[in-house]
Amino acid sequence: MPKHELILLKNMMQPGYTGSLTDYEKTGGYQALRNTLGKIAPADVTTIVRKSGLRGRGGAGFPTGVKWGFLPKDYQGPRYLCCNADESEPGTFKDRQLMERDPHQVLEGIVLACYAIGSETAYIYIRGEMVLGSKILEQAIGEARVAGYIGKNILGTGINVDVWVHRGAGAYICGEETALLESLEGKRGLPRIKPPFPATHGLYNKPTVVNNVETLANLPHIITRGPEWFAAIGSPPKSTGTRVFCVSGHVKRPGNYEVPMGMTVRELVYEYAGGMRSDKPMKAFIPGGASAPFLTPAHLDVKLDFEHVAAAGSMLGSGGVTVMEEGTSMVWAALRLMEFFYHESCGKCSPCREGSSWLVQTMRRISAKRGRMEDLETLLDLCKNIAGRTVCAFGDAEVAPIQSTLKHWRQEYVDLINEAETANLIRPEPVGRP
Amino acid sequence: MWSWGSVIGETRAVDIRSLSAGPLRAYQHQDCGSMTFLEKYKDEIADILSRYPVMRSALIPLLYVAQRDQGYVTESAMQEIAHLLRLTPPQVYETITFYTMFNLKPVGKFHIQVCKSLMCALVGSDTVIEWIKVKLGIAPGESTADGLFSLSVVECLAACGTGPMMQINEDYYEQLTEGKLDRILADLRSTGTSPLKSGPFMWPEPVTGKG
Amino acid sequence: MPETTSQMVRITIDGMTVHVPKGTLVIEAARRVGVMIPHFCYHPKLKPDANCRMCLVEIEKMPKLQTACSTPADEGMNIRTATTAVDDAHKSVLEFILANHPLDCPVCDQGGKCDLQDFSHQYTATSRFVETKRIFQKEYFSPLIETQMNRCVQCLRCVRYCDEVMDVKALAPVGRGTMTEIKHFGSHPLDCEFCGGCVQICPVGAITSRLSMYEYRPWMLKRAETICGYCGDGCQITVQTKGQELIEVNSAHGAGRNNGDLCARGFFGFHAASDPQRLTHPLIRRDGRLMQTTWEEALEYVAGRVGEIQAAYGGQSVGGLISGRCTNEELYLFQKFLRVAVGTNHIDSSARYGHVNGLQAMRLVQGTHRWTVTFDDILDADVLILVGTNITETNPITGLKVKEAVKKRRATLITIESLEPVVDTMSNIANLSHHHFRIPTSDTHHAIVGLVKAVLEQNLTQPDLAQRHPTYFNAMTSALQQISWQEIQTATGIEPEAYVRAAKAAAGARRVVIVAGQLLLRSEQGYSGCLTLFDLLLLTGKLDGPGCGFAPLAEENNDQGAVEMGTVTELLPGAQPITSGTERERIAKQWKSELPTDTGASLIEMLERARAGSLKAMFIVGENPVGSLPAAIHAETSLRNLDLLVCQELFLTETAAKEIRSLIPGYSSLGPTPLPPKVDRSVVDRYLTDGYQRDLATRYHPIPRASRPDGTVRLELTQSLFHSGKLSTRSKGLLQVEGSGRLRISPSDAARFALSDGDRVRLSSTSGEMTTEVKIMERVPQGTAWFPYHFGQAAVHLFECAIDPITHVPSFRTATVSMMKVA
Ligand SMILES: Cc1cc2nc3c(=O)[nH]c(=O)nc-3n(C[C@H](O)[C@H](O)[C@H](O)COP(=O)(O)O)c2cc1C
Ligand code: SF4
Ligand code: FES
Repeated sequence: MPKHELILLKNMMQPGYTGSLTDYEKTGGYQALRNTLGKIAPADVTTIVRKSGLRGRGGAGFPTGVKWGFLPKDYQGPRYLCCNADESEPGTFKDRQLMERDPHQVLEGIVLACYAIGSETAYIYIRGEMVLGSKILEQAIGEARVAGYIGKNILGTGINVDVWVHRGAGAYICGEETALLESLEGKRGLPRIKPPFPATHGLYNKPTVVNNVETLANLPHIITRGPEWFAAIGSPPKSTGTRVFCVSGHVKRPGNYEVPMGMTVRELVYEYAGGMRSDKPMKAFIPGGASAPFLTPAHLDVKLDFEHVAAAGSMLGSGGVTVMEEGTSMVWAALRLMEFFYHESCGKCSPCREGSSWLVQTMRRISAKRGRMEDLETLLDLCKNIAGRTVCAFGDAEVAPIQSTLKHWRQEYVDLINEAETANLIRPEPVGRP
Repeated sequence: MWSWGSVIGETRAVDIRSLSAGPLRAYQHQDCGSMTFLEKYKDEIADILSRYPVMRSALIPLLYVAQRDQGYVTESAMQEIAHLLRLTPPQVYETITFYTMFNLKPVGKFHIQVCKSLMCALVGSDTVIEWIKVKLGIAPGESTADGLFSLSVVECLAACGTGPMMQINEDYYEQLTEGKLDRILADLRSTGTSPLKSGPFMWPEPVTGKG
Repeated sequence: MPETTSQMVRITIDGMTVHVPKGTLVIEAARRVGVMIPHFCYHPKLKPDANCRMCLVEIEKMPKLQTACSTPADEGMNIRTATTAVDDAHKSVLEFILANHPLDCPVCDQGGKCDLQDFSHQYTATSRFVETKRIFQKEYFSPLIETQMNRCVQCLRCVRYCDEVMDVKALAPVGRGTMTEIKHFGSHPLDCEFCGGCVQICPVGAITSRLSMYEYRPWMLKRAETICGYCGDGCQITVQTKGQELIEVNSAHGAGRNNGDLCARGFFGFHAASDPQRLTHPLIRRDGRLMQTTWEEALEYVAGRVGEIQAAYGGQSVGGLISGRCTNEELYLFQKFLRVAVGTNHIDSSARYGHVNGLQAMRLVQGTHRWTVTFDDILDADVLILVGTNITETNPITGLKVKEAVKKRRATLITIESLEPVVDTMSNIANLSHHHFRIPTSDTHHAIVGLVKAVLEQNLTQPDLAQRHPTYFNAMTSALQQISWQEIQTATGIEPEAYVRAAKAAAGARRVVIVAGQLLLRSEQGYSGCLTLFDLLLLTGKLDGPGCGFAPLAEENNDQGAVEMGTVTELLPGAQPITSGTERERIAKQWKSELPTDTGASLIEMLERARAGSLKAMFIVGENPVGSLPAAIHAETSLRNLDLLVCQELFLTETAAKEIRSLIPGYSSLGPTPLPPKVDRSVVDRYLTDGYQRDLATRYHPIPRASRPDGTVRLELTQSLFHSGKLSTRSKGLLQVEGSGRLRISPSDAARFALSDGDRVRLSSTSGEMTTEVKIMERVPQGTAWFPYHFGQAAVHLFECAIDPITHVPSFRTATVSMMKVA
């Protein structure tokens, strides 16, 4: 079916592909490593990646080569690479597949990145629940170590890179890069204030790069086939390459689909994911994971790349596309996500901590038909007061569901409140003595 | 002014061969005649510590070892780990309570965790929770009287495309139906494991031969 | 990085231009021009955490509002704190913070001094919050501290203070999100240093002191600034009273050299002053019984009896002893009274118990008896050497400076202490140490010798020393050649490389401060140990370098004052030797009176003379020789032998009070001092030429092999963090934390003697025995047992007493005792 070439999912789509080292090598695996280590200067690797236009797949979409360039050039001590495999954003399940089905592709990317930034140690911070994934990675690391791709003196080049799997323990916020670092240091996963940025003061206060699994998995291909090849894919110049979109919700064939960036939602949903699961039309979709504002069918022709999705009022984020059919209550959907954010707010900053509990309580009330009309203004006002005033981007994310559903489906809120009022469930009491 | 650099300076790496549970711990355990956590997992602990330049990083991995040992993390394990990593027990305690995967109290032999986040909810996770409640007679947060099952309702576990889903101990079970759920529970009761658990994840599966 | 530098930058705050060092936080820069930016989580002592988000301000060219508490000032920054956007942000953050706050101000002890209350008032805060507030269980943290987590605003100042400043880490934020609450670990009550820092630093009423609960509103209290009398650190405190009642003690940020930090004694120990057993009337012993009397009668009686004795036996038959807790004025008057009115030089003070050792060494080597460094030099030091200080318990606030120097300013710390580096919820200076020499107090000197040897052998000496002072250099070299590493290693249990590493660190640094503590000063090698430390400074050329010097710590808060005021027998006011003819003349002229001619007797000599019958009368102010000196001194027999004993005390002590003096004085020797004196180079040269010779041989000699018999431990009388001086054991707060003296032993000794916490043991030595309870503490080194000095009246009798031939300091703080479990 794919009308384009697969990059990341290519190997695993082949029948019988197990993701073992032999399988991976057969498809040309670790050739990029062989051709790079000691042969291309690390700074040139960074340049290649910058030229490819690769942007982070973890959510923020920051250009990867530029991020690497922030590391201090003359710093003598150790540097670290952290592979962000926390994948906790509701609606996202691509990293899991990349790690469990083709772990060596990720590992090769990790070693290449380490080489480029001069790091001898990489930690894969994988969410604690993914026990299988961590086992598969550990096993793959073992294989790669034996084969000389990881460890001391890789392939006789004198270059050392150690890779360790570090399991998180159940906290969405640990996907945020500085919270990830805190967690990796054995502390509570509270985001740090920035600046300083991880590039200068990261893990153990050393220069550190945090990259998403999918970002890293792209590296071997970019090295092997050249930055120009990569930069031509997708929606150049700003959104190059493919994305593995995770389609979930009310579609016939949910799952991971790797497509070039710039494909429309319509194509992704109706051609790849098989369209709506029943005859009900689509009511809403989220283009980039729980943190991305909801969009409506009017946005079906928005191109799935960083710029176009942003222009439509949402964000490409982690690539989790969740589709909802007609009949789904948007208040209920927003509340579900709000429950998630309330559960996951780390509690560090007051607007997010207090705001999330306030929002969730108000939403619960509205949805239980005990709302009041003023609640809607309060909700919007609270959202405005949270966004942009917190330590990390979680604050911006948590308000997205409420803000966007209130924008597009305000009537649903109003209906629930009207029902409450007609049912006389709230009886405003006069204050003071009669 | 504070130097930002002192964030980490607190911990100094030690020679892991010289690990000790600390004189007081050793003394207490000698009292009650049991093996210390450290003695029991000495090699594994040494291996974990060897991965990090700063000891505190080993905290979460060590808590996992402790949880594997008892099913939950006991107060004495927290103390022992604190001692080992040169932390105060409150430092271990604050970390452990931040993460949802650590149990501070015993849980059932099979800890069922059903995802209730939006994506799973769209495809029926609430119904799955109801099924389990009825079938096992327990509400979220409770355990069955025989100590076999505990039920928790959790947030997204990265299986949104294959929901509704649940995790039981270390395994994922996806695309749940009532029949599948019955089989899983029966399997667990009889053999302690179920072939219905997920393997290495990929969805959709590649289209094979028949095309 | 936002570390402040000397580079100045120009920034604008609300239109006002101000120059500040680059890196100054915007919130601090604003304070300078009088703009107060609201905040909860920020505190100048703590690393910015920017969690409350209250301090948002507008900074030109930055897209979002920024937190003033974490943004460092940079050239040209234009900051606005009074725009509608900022005001709106402040209001909204306040609304969030108030959302879950219980608003129980009427019953909250913080009411009236609460940041949340103040800002709510300032912003006329209103709230649209109609949901259910979160509820936490009230928790009795401890008998002293209570938490009301419903009030918590989660700024984590308490937790951060406990970690960053105190290095204690006893508090834990537990849980996540809104349900995070501050707790401690375990099912027992909070077990920590009880510095009260969390109570002081909490911006709301979430952590409060149980000693003053529900007793006051801030505006009912009268405040008075004074100095804490519990130890030599001399912290500035604010005593708050309601009517006649002492309600609370605290210390404001920026106050005194303690900068608002206190220890348990300062914060929770104030009840001693209002103890009901305090003497309120003079007492006179008649027919063997102490009888109440009037002031007139008492004074007349004393004056009359002293007159008689003076007439009959001469002024020389009278002596005086005073506590180093008295004010300078009192000390001065005391010695003048004795020297002029009575005509005696038999004067001594608590400085004799150890402080004099450091003093004499300083005088001999550097020509001044004062610190040549300031408190700030500790903060600025590159290398700090702590010797026998037990600093976190004995001088906790000086300890904080050491912690700050190491943690924030990255000083290298070398410790020679009888302390196992164990991490628990009491700070342990050995944990911060880069070179820790864990050595029993009695062997401290050997470790210092080890350092000196390493300096000489590794050629770490000052380059031109050998040429300028060849005799000293050669004498040192040959003296240390006679001591083998083997001996040092056997005596101290530490391998030579460790000494070499530490010596290299010290010699390679620019600013080196040696801090000597009471454990060293009060030991048998108090004087010689100080001299050997001076050798270390001289050899490495660190004696008179900028920021370098020797700093002995006082135990009593005014031991130094006692020296300055001339209340030690060998010194006149101004700390001038009594043997100096010119000084005697000068003082005599000032006093318009002749000075007694004899050289005077020190404490121990006075007691000997009393026993022998040549001393007939004694004045004792705030001291208790019967309770604090070992049996071998026979203080009691000596005092009984007197014709007249006059005591001035707050309480009836063993020494038997006959009079009463007023409340603890407030003055510290080390308060806001003028510039410290400089090392006198000519004195140093004299020392290097021949001064060193006097006791070179007694300090550097082969170390005899000592072995302790089986079944014994090395008993050390030590300080306790919770007690100090003679009053703390009357303070109900402190007694709740530590109510009695328990013998602290190491876990391995507990195993060796089959003991558990709370078991009773009998300790015996050739001098006596006592029974006590044990407490197992991991920080006690194996083979050593600590007994807190403040409950040590029974323990004192286990010790032998050695008297330093030069400084006349009696030392009795270590002994070998056998230990046996009793039922
Ligand atoms: C609340 C929050 C959660 C995040 N979760 C994840 C995550 O699960 N996985 C991930 O790769 N990035 C996550 N990120 C983004 C990371 O902070 C970071 O930008 C990313 O790992 C950088 O890698 P990239 O440049 O390769 O995208 C999260 C960010 C925020 C603010
Ligand atoms: S925005 Fe929320 S999640 Fe992010 S640091 Fe603040 S409280 Fe934590
Ligand atoms: S004072 Fe700045 S965020 Fe709290």
